[in-house]
Amino acid sequence: MTNTLKIDALVVGGGIAGMQASLDLADQGYQVALVEKNPSVGGMMAGLSKVFPTLDCCSCITTPKMSAVAHHANISLMTYSEVQSVMGNEGDYQVRVMKKPRYVIEDECSGCRSCEMVCPLDLPDYDNEYGRGAHRVIYVPFSTAVPQKALIDIDNCIYCGKCLKACTTNAIDFAQQPEYVNIETTSIVLATGYKTTPYDAKKEYGGGRLRNVVHGMMVERLLAPTGAYGRQLRPSDGRQPDNIAYVQCAGSRDLTLGVDYCSRVCCMYAIKQAMLLAGALPMADITIYYMDIRAFGKGYEQFYENAKAMGIQFVKGKVARITEDENQNPILRVELIDQNSRVVERKHDLAVLSVGMLPGFDPNSMYGVPVDKDGFIKAPNPNISPTLTMREGIFATGTATGPMDIVDSIITAGAVAAEAAAYIQSHNGHRQLVAEQTERSVTHA
Amino acid sequence: MPEKDESQAKPREEPRIGVYVCNCGGNIGNVVACDNVARVLGKLPNVVTSHSHMFMCSDPGQNLIIDDIKEKGVNRVVIGACSLFLHEQTFRSAVERAGLNPYLYYHVGLREQVSWVHHDNPKEATDKATRMMMGGIAKARYMRPLEPVRLDAGKHALVIGGGVAGLRSALDIARRGLQVTLIEKSHYLGGHMAQWERVFPTHQKARVLLKELIERVLAEPNITIHTGAQVVRTQGYVGNFQIKIRQEPRGVHGAFPNEQEAVAVCPIKQRREFDYGLSTRKAIYRAYNGCVPESLVIDWENCTKCGECVKVAPEGMINLNEEAREFDLKVGAVVLATGFKPYEPLYGEMGWKEFPEVITLAQLHRLLDDEGPSDGKFYWNGHPVRDVAIIHCVGSRQIEGVHRPQPDGNVNNYCSRVCCTASMSMAALIRQKAPDAKVYDIYEDIRTYGRGHEDYYRNAGKEQVTFLRYFAEEIPEVMRADESADRPLLVKVKDHLTWGETIELPVDLVVLATGMMPNPVDDLIGMFKVSPGNDRFLLEVHPKLRPVETAVNGIVLAGTAQGPMNIQESCAAAGAAASKVAALLIQGEVELEPFVAVVDPERCNGSGKCIEHCPQEEALTLETFTENGRTFQRAVVTPANCNGCGVCAGVCPNRAIDVAGWRLDEFEAMVEAITDEIPAMEGAI
Amino acid sequence: MSTNEGKPKILILATLSGGYRGADSTGQSHLEYPPNTYILPVMSAAIFRESFYLKAFERGFDGIIVMYSGTDSPYKGESERTAVIVNSAYELMKKQEIDLRRLKLAAICTVCVRPFLNEVNKMNELLGQIGPLQHKTPAVQPVR
Ligand SMILES: Cc1cc2nc3c(=O)[nH]c(=O)nc-3n(C[C@H](O)[C@H](O)[C@H](O)COP(=O)(O)OP(=O)(O)OC[C@H]3O[C@@H](n4cnc5c(N)ncnc54)[C@H](O)[C@@H]3O)c2cc1C
Ligand SMILES: Cc1cc2nc3c(=O)[nH]c(=O)nc-3n(C[C@H](O)[C@H](O)[C@H](O)COP(=O)(O)OP(=O)(O)OC[C@H]3O[C@@H](n4cnc5c(N)ncnc54)[C@H](O)[C@@H]3O)c2cc1C
Repeated sequence: MTNTLKIDALVVGGGIAGMQASLDLADQGYQVALVEKNPSVGGMMAGLSKVFPTLDCCSCITTPKMSAVAHHANISLMTYSEVQSVMGNEGDYQVRVMKKPRYVIEDECSGCRSCEMVCPLDLPDYDNEYGRGAHRVIYVPFSTAVPQKALIDIDNCIYCGKCLKACTTNAIDFAQQPEYVNIETTSIVLATGYKTTPYDAKKEYGGGRLRNVVHGMMVERLLAPTGAYGRQLRPSDGRQPDNIAYVQCAGSRDLTLGVDYCSRVCCMYAIKQAMLLAGALPMADITIYYMDIRAFGKGYEQFYENAKAMGIQFVKGKVARITEDENQNPILRVELIDQNSRVVERKHDLAVLSVGMLPGFDPNSMYGVPVDKDGFIKAPNPNISPTLTMREGIFATGTATGPMDIVDSIITAGAVAAEAAAYIQSHNGHRQLVAEQTERSVTHA
Repeated sequence: MPEKDESQAKPREEPRIGVYVCNCGGNIGNVVACDNVARVLGKLPNVVTSHSHMFMCSDPGQNLIIDDIKEKGVNRVVIGACSLFLHEQTFRSAVERAGLNPYLYYHVGLREQVSWVHHDNPKEATDKATRMMMGGIAKARYMRPLEPVRLDAGKHALVIGGGVAGLRSALDIARRGLQVTLIEKSHYLGGHMAQWERVFPTHQKARVLLKELIERVLAEPNITIHTGAQVVRTQGYVGNFQIKIRQEPRGVHGAFPNEQEAVAVCPIKQRREFDYGLSTRKAIYRAYNGCVPESLVIDWENCTKCGECVKVAPEGMINLNEEAREFDLKVGAVVLATGFKPYEPLYGEMGWKEFPEVITLAQLHRLLDDEGPSDGKFYWNGHPVRDVAIIHCVGSRQIEGVHRPQPDGNVNNYCSRVCCTASMSMAALIRQKAPDAKVYDIYEDIRTYGRGHEDYYRNAGKEQVTFLRYFAEEIPEVMRADESADRPLLVKVKDHLTWGETIELPVDLVVLATGMMPNPVDDLIGMFKVSPGNDRFLLEVHPKLRPVETAVNGIVLAGTAQGPMNIQESCAAAGAAASKVAALLIQGEVELEPFVAVVDPERCNGSGKCIEHCPQEEALTLETFTENGRTFQRAVVTPANCNGCGVCAGVCPNRAIDVAGWRLDEFEAMVEAITDEIPAMEGAI
Repeated sequence: MSTNEGKPKILILATLSGGYRGADSTGQSHLEYPPNTYILPVMSAAIFRESFYLKAFERGFDGIIVMYSGTDSPYKGESERTAVIVNSAYELMKKQEIDLRRLKLAAICTVCVRPFLNEVNKMNELLGQIGPLQHKTPAVQPVR
């Protein structure tokens, strides 16, 4: 089955940047299609606990955006979908999108989760819980997912048929085939986001084998009200940690990993997590090993000062190696930069690697949009027009254009909407609402 | 004259309520006895029809409602189903399709809040569902049609500030086909960017980049620019701001061949602001060569009107008696892009003003500029500069009790975001201009966070810039060196990269990497009712989610007026601001949710309590009315400024004010109905 | 069908930006809690004057929980004002010798499942201990 859609802007990626860009374009009256490869919109933000520096509950500020994109009259939302090809020229792109089979008919599913209740198989949840939580073979991705529709992990399904019986709307269709949508669009906005730097890449940090060495995103899930455990624990024995270390720049500013840039959010999220952990575990000692604390955004420095006042320890030092003792306590070998690079060993019971950001997707082969040496989308005029790409009619926003936090993603989403809207306007020949032109005048010139 | 509230005056029609209980394919029905609930509810007064249905959200379900409205004269709809967040929109549009006001429908959550949380108790769940629905029906009796607040919006925006942020947002708004007026207080466009030599992260010439942008702005037919202009008065609200602008005269009209002569004859010498006082100018001057608009300008504050320049200039070119002019604008939205000013150190702060060899980073930019006061030669006091120390965080990241406060009593406890990378890029330029110079960089943390910024830091290390680290509590000292020393200054730092040793650095020049303060805009803050934050920068509605909007609808922020940013970030914020303006104005009409305060004219006695407590600016006012010869006061709502927070409803002594759609009498009726007797039912459940 | 008769009733006033979504999230997790809980969506909790709470007690509610968004409220002034009004309601309750614990102000976020259950359970526990509300004095007249 193939449908055709004629629109003004195709937004690829439904994280906060893609959602905000879609809303900002749709609010200006443009027709938008938002394509997200995962079964729900929300991106990485949907999985965070609270956000710096306001400590707002993250779902509380993400979910309204997620429902807004789902309900907006000018937005066609396509989740669990991927762009297959991009043809055509500047301003007139033909894009083929595949809607991957959920094996659940989206229009029929009421999100009731009756299927989930009867499904006999649990799978570790890698997508949302980093292997810590579990979901059934048929499942709604998470409690605030948009759309609230189930899907089947068909590779793991044993076709027992229990869900078929439980489903009251006959929504389950094991024979579902991919659907294709042909999209004709004037512009494309890439908002394909980031992934975290691999936490097992660095041999010196145990290469992912040390059980009580975790990464920042795992801690987000521990701290989130929707997380798998609902309390703070260390993986090896489920005990509450009471001496936690944060290892900053684990994967950023590190030439040995080929990531020479700063990932911009890790200082702040480490401070945030440290504060939340200190709240949950009042007796715990928390130490942040850092090279430079980069609390540069609005209100961030004050946030950092608050953390210091709460008793969180900041030690300027580079962690050279992590090993463990017989109780699986991580032992950090730290070069204390502040003390002429004196090397010390410090024992903790949980170590968190503040992993950085890598580009989530390389658009070059499909979109003809080259990336820069850091792997993020190349900007031909980064100062004045930060959302342009090397190809006309294709724009980029959010962490697809380099590491940044939520507020900067939202700002660049607004900027990409302005850039794309102007492009659409000029390209579509001022087809709507052209303001009457008055004489140009520059007084005093 | 305030308008009369029509909805209050109209007699209310008899409610004819349609009730719908969704089974949700068993999700509700397996726990709640939906059929019975529907039957019981059918017995309540005003209920014309009551159904239980397998899937209300399906087409047949929606059609049932539409038919009842059309055929049975149903004029209020109550639906019990899944969460209102899932299907409120669906049912609202169904009701609207049937020709009924979409707000005459009430949604009761029977799935997430009843069946899914009480599976163990079907009887009690059914009882609860019935009572919740009875509450909904009670509310329905009180519901009134609501209309979104619609305001005509002028398709015209005002941008205040002609720095890079103001220019960029004017361009983005104009490219959407809207009219833009841009006003700039100074006599040239470009703001601070014009003063920088090169800009990170591209190492491009700032004025070349800026020129390209200005040319695009000038080429845009929808933009009108006024320089030397400021807002003097404002009135109105989103969609319709009336703004009075005052424009200072320029005194000079266009370029003429012997400009240099006219400048030369001027007897007045002034500090040149553009060079931060590193050079001087006359009372007739040009900010910099190539500035836009490019004609000379008179500095009225210092001009003595001696007339020398008029004598040499061609007839009519210079007019020293030109008057300021005022004019009015009507705009739908306003962008505040009033920018920053570099932090000005206090006297003696790390030697500032005490020693002439202490300059700021902004001055260093001028000094190294090929078109600057020393033609780009790294000279100070006529001598080449050999060794230089850059001290970071001057005027930023300050600590109460350690740093001297600003006049308002607060220290600048924020990070200024650009100075680290700007310093690193300047260090590289120094190396280029003076390869033998020693450069010391004295910092707290190096914050080269942005894309491409870290390269500057790494290169500085390679270029043998010497780094020393201080803590904010131990501010480096700048002192005069001994007469005999061959460097005039001594910088004393407790360096934490080497065991906290105190190190003395002999240098020729000290550069203070001064941060940003907002341009003072108290007048605009007062006129537009926006708020500054604790850091004095303009405050956004929500620092994460709505970073460019202010609490005042129709007023948005762009660039460093809101907080420290670099050029890229200023331009991004400007684009985001333009998006918000375009979304507001593009339809020529602003539509706001109908949930705003409404005053009951019968009950309001003008106590003014609501106005006293209202947290919104100008949402409520007390106005004087005369009716039948009687003069009295009454509260009047300006819906455009009301967000429905309901504070007024809670404080009115006469219960004369409510939030439409969320009236207190509706809640009281719901509370009564929920605790009421459930109508008797023949037959068991 | 009077199965809930005689049992204590709890009125929950839940803001759309906070407690109401929290209740929905609890539902999505299919977690049980007692059905004597009547949840009304409210846009802002500041609209309720103190007499409203008294009236709800008078009408037969034994406990009231206001689940607002606290300092996360999208409305400037909502949380402060609500706290002030609840405090005045406490004054009125004291006069009528109503146990102050019957009225509770709680900040509940949109995914606050555990805190939501916690508040509901705590109120039920309390009502279990102190029993349904006995009216000592004739009901207050709402200010009309
Ligand atoms: C541990 C941690 C904690 C953090 N905490 C905070 C915090 O407290 N505050 C804060 O401001 N920031 C925080 N951040 C940063 C924050 O997560 C990001 O700024 C933000 O999520 C970026 O949003 P985005 O939309 O750019 O990218 P993403 O969230 O990555 O969204 C990209 C979306 O695009 C989709 N996608 C990718 N490729 C394709 C494709 N080819 N086709 C279709 N779809 C595609 C992805 O599935 C995803 O949904 C944190 C980051 C980490 C790692
Ligand atoms: C030393 C230094 C070096 C820097 N180097 C770099 C760099 O290399 N790269 C980089 O990206 N960024 C750099 N920056 C930052 C950059 O200068 C700013 O990001 C940018 O100039 C901000 O632009 P703006 O439009 O927000 O503000 P501004 O440039 O301050 O412009 C504001 C404009 O508004 C006008 N105005 C103010 N009040 C009113 C009023 N009431 N009515 C009308 N008009 C008004 C002002 O006259 C001014 O023209 C540097 C900053 C400093 C201090």
